[in-house]
Amino acid sequence: MKEAMSKFLCPYCSTTFGVFEELKAHAISDHKTESVPAPEGLIRLTVNREVHEIQVEPQWTLNYLIHDRLGLTSPKMFCDRGACGSCTVILDGRPILSCMTLAIECDGTTIETAEGIAKSNHPLLDSYVKHHTMQCGYCTPGFITTSKAFLDRNPNPTEEEIREALSGNLCRCGTYPQHPKAVLEAAKNLREG
Amino acid sequence: MASDNLGDYERVQEEGKYSLEADIPTITFTEIGKRGIRRMDGYEKASGKAIYTRDMQLPGMLYGRVLMSPYARAKILRMDTGRAEALPGVRSIMRYDDPEIEGRGLNGSYFAPGWVGRQLKRSGLVEDELEGWGLKPVRPVLGDEAWYEGQPVGVAVAADSEDIANEALRLVDMDWEELPFVLDQEEALKPDAPILRPNSDSNLLEDPRQLLEVGDVEKGFKEADRIIEFTARRNAHLWAGAEMASVLVRWRGDNLEMWLREQQPYHAKMLFAEWMDLPMNRITVHSPYMGCSFGERGNPANNPSNGMNILAALFSKRTGRPVKFLYNRNETFFGESGDMMVSYFKVGAKEDGTITAVQIKNVFAVYMCTPGIEHFIDNTRIPNLKCEAITVDVSKAAAWWDRCEQLPNTFCFTLVFDHVAAELGMDPTEVALKNDGYDSRDTTHLSKYKSEHGFPDRDSLRECIKAGKKAIGWDEKWHPPGTKKLPNGKMHGMAFTWDHAWDDVRGTGSAAILIENDGTVSIIGQQADIGVNPWTAYCQIVADELGMRYQDINIKPFDLDQGFALMSPDGSCNLCSNGIVLRKAARKAKKMLLELAAQKFEDVRPEELDTKDRIIYVKSDPKREKTIKEVVARAMPMFASAGYWSEAPVIAWAWHTHGVWGEALETGRPRLGRQSHFIEVEVDTETGTVEVSRVVNVNDVGKAVSPETVEGQMYGGSYLGVGRSLTEEMIWDGKTGVLLNRNLLDYKYATMVDYGPVDAIFLETGLGHGPYGAIGVGEATATMMPALLGPAVYNAIGHWIDDFPITPDKVLKALGKA
Repeated sequence: MKEAMSKFLCPYCSTTFGVFEELKAHAISDHKTESVPAPEGLIRLTVNREVHEIQVEPQWTLNYLIHDRLGLTSPKMFCDRGACGSCTVILDGRPILSCMTLAIECDGTTIETAEGIAKSNHPLLDSYVKHHTMQCGYCTPGFITTSKAFLDRNPNPTEEEIREALSGNLCRCGTYPQHPKAVLEAAKNLREG
Repeated sequence: MASDNLGDYERVQEEGKYSLEADIPTITFTEIGKRGIRRMDGYEKASGKAIYTRDMQLPGMLYGRVLMSPYARAKILRMDTGRAEALPGVRSIMRYDDPEIEGRGLNGSYFAPGWVGRQLKRSGLVEDELEGWGLKPVRPVLGDEAWYEGQPVGVAVAADSEDIANEALRLVDMDWEELPFVLDQEEALKPDAPILRPNSDSNLLEDPRQLLEVGDVEKGFKEADRIIEFTARRNAHLWAGAEMASVLVRWRGDNLEMWLREQQPYHAKMLFAEWMDLPMNRITVHSPYMGCSFGERGNPANNPSNGMNILAALFSKRTGRPVKFLYNRNETFFGESGDMMVSYFKVGAKEDGTITAVQIKNVFAVYMCTPGIEHFIDNTRIPNLKCEAITVDVSKAAAWWDRCEQLPNTFCFTLVFDHVAAELGMDPTEVALKNDGYDSRDTTHLSKYKSEHGFPDRDSLRECIKAGKKAIGWDEKWHPPGTKKLPNGKMHGMAFTWDHAWDDVRGTGSAAILIENDGTVSIIGQQADIGVNPWTAYCQIVADELGMRYQDINIKPFDLDQGFALMSPDGSCNLCSNGIVLRKAARKAKKMLLELAAQKFEDVRPEELDTKDRIIYVKSDPKREKTIKEVVARAMPMFASAGYWSEAPVIAWAWHTHGVWGEALETGRPRLGRQSHFIEVEVDTETGTVEVSRVVNVNDVGKAVSPETVEGQMYGGSYLGVGRSLTEEMIWDGKTGVLLNRNLLDYKYATMVDYGPVDAIFLETGLGHGPYGAIGVGEATATMMPALLGPAVYNAIGHWIDDFPITPDKVLKALGKA
């Protein structure tokens, strides 16, 4: 068995653990107690199917955590706060603005970014490229995440429903007419497997 | 023409000059013009893997922030940075009185005060060493006085995080003296207005191009049946591009490395070297992807945010660490479109729609993009034209190009033509056709030019109008003003405008083509990306010129130190100049390739060979062939193994210059392509709300290398353009002089659901001076649309609102309801 990183110390027996979840499991099984104080600011979240346990500061936004600390560049800062949808990530199935969400509130959540959607070979990527559904591309990942979350809920949408779903995302290049085409095609490809 | 006596340099120079002749294609188009090509940048952008300057991080990087003036005009009386310096995590503080920054200025406009100005004087282009076109005075990068709200002033800081840097700025203790300001350009000319510039007795700025005159307008007015006079106003709007300004700088010994968010990276390097007193060969510029910019970063000289490049470099020098300087969204709002203007029109016209004279006086605030009458010269047969254009300093940030510098021209052009048509009760498409021409001459002269220079004799305007009328149903729907009430109770209006396509007149670039030794091709040449999909088009051109496939070609455009720089994707010229650069380079590379291939065939001469679909074959005996890959297998820039001999690489470079801005006619090159635009609106006379229900854009693009890209520029430009006429406006508080809506909630631009369908129709007449007859399209629609809403609302309600943007309050006022 690999030696654990001495990151978390058991207050009862001084055994060290690399992951807080392991310490908690150890406290329950070996010491019959759940009262292990979690270090302040420690959160555990799954991003694109990878688990992260990370110490965050209370003022960090989820965007800062994902973009600046985890190095996933897809959630873009465009409007700066809450107006454009470019920083959208999917949190437990819902598209949310990562710039308006505090990282510390995301403990236990599952997050998907455009990188993860691309990695899973989601047909949205191909249809976006095919339909030239980007110009400068800065807002594009935000559209991808919003569309993915939308298609998860509505696999057979109308064009009107797509437009409504994406109406919170700004694109200064004005690529708007292409999005319904790309999303409709992706939906069709998803349904047909 | 080219002679064998030419030296090497002279030969390059000669081959780089543009030609007035039509560029008739000599190749078969396989990739060029094809739909369904996967764009080069598509996957990277959609997956979030595309790196923009804002995304960049380097080990040990500090974050730089600068204080922005909270006042419209103020002077710092006292500044104490003690508490900021004491804040943990603050690594350096730059005060306006620090020796590194004191006296460093940004020039006011295009031409730098130093090197460029001197070069221009030496070249004889100007008489004096220019500080620009006198449009905006030189401003310090970091001074103790602010001439507008949002001016970087007083103090800048570099810290371990953006939060700490912001906190440090908050901790700077300052006393300010607020000074009188003026926001309106006509107010600023009144005798009691405060004089904004030191050592000046007027707010009027000098400009060498302020009076343009053709013919005799007084004579033209006498010949007219009607005289039409009106005044129009255009309030400020903003580029508001997606990516906020930032820069990342680090020193490597005496070398400086920059990640620049600039549309013109080479130009940026040149000016930066001048500002910093650095040799150019010590500067490495990286140009990552750019969130759309539309000219905001289209010239590294003017925009005040360029001061951050200097601050970042100085901080990096001081601290020995990489420094990333950042603007936040509300700080990007300081700087306006270059068409803040009040326009006074006097037009003479005959009853049949012939315009005899146009006289315009334009009063610009802070910056004049273009005087406003040039399109009448370039594009009509109107014999008598006069334009007086003046620029006035006000307490606002410098205005600048904003997709594009032709906005004053299209504003004046649309309003004059639509007012004339309305006054005469004529169909505006008829008035357009009646006056089409160039340089006071009618279309027979255009036809003559076309035939003399090998262009097809097609009537671009007539074709554009025909296509647009059909698409929007003009003949069925067009009606006299204020006469059509829809079943929903709203008033229906339609309008039309037209112009030439102006994007074919300038640009200089260079690039190389290397055939790698596996037979694939690399295009070498730096270019910023702002979303116009240039790389796909370049690869299509190179593929067809070399007889290869699109997927065989790649471009690596992010770094400058490779020695080649393509014309930036702005400045009104991208594909029209770079397409020729790449075509020339590809033809040279192909020639080398065939020479090498002839050696391998042994018994044929290069001219007996050609390429097709990755194959080199003997033209007289096409069965004799070799793959490009086998021909170049040993031709490579370097090869490590001593056991093999190697052959010279197949690499060729080319340079091309496509003329000088503003000199299309002077160089004997009239614009042959035209564009027409149609809009349909519904006006709610109870609320004053205007809804745009339909837009039809028709652009003659000469030749569409990438059809989807052309359409993207057109519908994208429509969203931007309609927004500017309807909802986009910067609003200052008259009492304090500060901007009230500097965020993307209160500065409203289009979402996906705001406007009705946009039809993007392009024609391919081959009438451009670009490669294969191409004409640029990127600036056209966005610049044409803004003024078109005025005539559309007039057609709906029967009242002119020549005050843009057209907001509901103005509609209600025009209807006498407010």
